[in-house]
Amino acid sequence: MNNNENFEPKIVAYLCNWCSYAAADLAGSSRTQYPPNIRVIRVPCSGRIDPLLLIRAFNFGADGVLVSGCHPGDCHYLDGNYYARRRFVMLKELMTFAGIEEQRVNFTWCSASEGSRFGVVVKKVVDRVKEVGPWQGFDNKGFIGVDSSEEEGELTGGSIL
Amino acid sequence: MEAYYKEITDKIQKIAYKLLDEGKVDKIIGFGKGEFTDEVTPVFIVNKENVDKLLFSEKATPFLAKYLLNYKDEKVAITAKPCETRAINSYLSENLLQRENLIIIGINGCRGIEGNTACKECDVRNPVISDYTVGEELSDEEVSSMITNVYEDLENMNPEERNEYFQNEFERCTRCYACREACPVCYCEECFTDSNQPFWLDSSTQLKDTFTFHLMRSIHMAGRCINCGACEMACPENIDVRALSAKMYRAGEEIFDYKPGMDPEQKTLLAEYDVNDQEKGFLD
Repeated sequence: MNNNENFEPKIVAYLCNWCSYAAADLAGSSRTQYPPNIRVIRVPCSGRIDPLLLIRAFNFGADGVLVSGCHPGDCHYLDGNYYARRRFVMLKELMTFAGIEEQRVNFTWCSASEGSRFGVVVKKVVDRVKEVGPWQGFDNKGFIGVDSSEEEGELTGGSIL
Repeated sequence: MEAYYKEITDKIQKIAYKLLDEGKVDKIIGFGKGEFTDEVTPVFIVNKENVDKLLFSEKATPFLAKYLLNYKDEKVAITAKPCETRAINSYLSENLLQRENLIIIGINGCRGIEGNTACKECDVRNPVISDYTVGEELSDEEVSSMITNVYEDLENMNPEERNEYFQNEFERCTRCYACREACPVCYCEECFTDSNQPFWLDSSTQLKDTFTFHLMRSIHMAGRCINCGACEMACPENIDVRALSAKMYRAGEEIFDYKPGMDPEQKTLLAEYDVNDQEKGFLD
């Protein structure tokens, strides 16, 4: 699958303001090296993240998503991440069943003091996404009302980004 | 008409007559004979003379539960299949209906509806909430012996084949939203797909957007979907739209031991949590 040696994935990272965002900050100020492939979106809580946002990231051509929130029990809003946890488990089940590679959908917990761990997580996520190669979109089989076997390649749908 | 359905039909008519005669309800929502042979359509009975229009048969494809939302302030009786009683439970749990305004005539021992593949997977064949019941109850053993997993083949495929299967299906989608309108537990005031603030996805019929729509619809129905098959039957393009939401139904049951719509007090799967929930698929 990995046909592009120089493939640098675009990964949308949804980070909780109270922990993982601070962890990313700590990783920066302690000069931890990690791949520059993530695009960070700061959210008030992992419970703020509607699963639709993650599906939409793929619709817009992201190669992978990462969601990082506070460890269970440490939520700034007491139980936001507990709600989030169920949602993400269900989302992952859905995406895997629909045939989207499970390596593209990543969830983790990262506290504000785990700057070095944040670097490790990002590296791991980037490696996972690199393993499955560029995201071809939801329409990568070329079914556009014609027999795909004849016009292979030409009709492959691209992504917006 | 088969004796089994004849008996149910007679009982429904008797109960309906009594309810209207005593003035307990303003309206009865039920199944009635359609214009064409054997077709069954929804009927709304207000005069007790008309109760002979009510019936129940294996062709009772319409889902009546959603009509209740149009008559929130009236006293209504409804003939409900077991799956519809589950939908009614979710309405009650979200305070969309008043229980005292509602009389449910549940149909016991539902043997499935013609042309509905979901009935083969049905695990609740007796009403879970009702005031009156008609027909013979099925025991738990009988119910579990009738369950077959329609999606076993699909589950055994590898992800790439499944993806191709779904692309092939959703490629035909015209975004008519029949699945959304038919779904008994899909009742947002404004659907995410109609919303432009926030804007979720293009309303195009490109595969990219239809696929996204079905993914979004399914995750929206996770922990709500009662696996009734209304979406699949409504689809004019015969798309396997139930496959994804049925997966959500099974995942909810397997991972969280959760079955939607079993009790009027029950919250939906994603509206509650357990501190000890498992973290399937999380990075360590």
